[in-house]
Amino acid sequence: MPHRVLIIDDEEDIREVAALSLETVAGWEVLLANSGAAGIAKANEQLPDAILLDVMMPGMDGPTTFQELRAHPKTARIPVILLTAKVQAADQKRFSDLGVSAVMFKPFDPLTLARDIARVLGWKDK
Amino acid sequence: MSDPSGVIAARLAELWRQTLPITLERVAALQAACEALGRNPADPRARSAGREAAHKLSGSLGIFGLPRGTELAAKLEEILKSTDPLSRQATMAMGGLIEDLEAVIASKQM
Repeated sequence: MPHRVLIIDDEEDIREVAALSLETVAGWEVLLANSGAAGIAKANEQLPDAILLDVMMPGMDGPTTFQELRAHPKTARIPVILLTAKVQAADQKRFSDLGVSAVMFKPFDPLTLARDIARVLGWKDK
Repeated sequence: MSDPSGVIAARLAELWRQTLPITLERVAALQAACEALGRNPADPRARSAGREAAHKLSGSLGIFGLPRGTELAAKLEEILKSTDPLSRQATMAMGGLIEDLEAVIASKQM
């Protein structure tokens, strides 16, 4: 069965390109949410294999969304990758210290995004 | 099955056209922030709005084949990160970077 990845990002262009990349290059199933709250609801309903989570979003930001996901037993074990525009080393460390599976950076290459996700999550099929 | 790179390139071109108004809105937000900071170098709202627009542009332009745009937006974000009042020199630097950014985006529109 293809992997199912939930993309949580308030930016439509980023959501669309990331979805295109994961579906077209890797053949994965993609779920989309445009806010932290919508993403938490979708994660609880759909239990994706992984979550790609934007850091800077209005309302609930990425780190807060991650903590909410970790606080719920149903979603606590879903691997989460934070996605952010390039940040300084101190911010990168702060994000890594949250306990996410990885921190990845925008802009990403749509042709290699799936491979990069598979690599950091230890998925062997891509 | 179609070549994924061809499919992605075609769809990226379509998405660029579709989301160009959002990109231009972000540049306009940066321009407005620059003007507001020229009038009041300590304006926290202008700084925050400009920084958010720069951050988003930095994350998206490179995906659409504009790495120079990402680089310029990252420089703008860096200028707007400080909480000190913006110096006149920094405001002028912002203006130049925004002009360059507009030129980079216009080059892809043509």
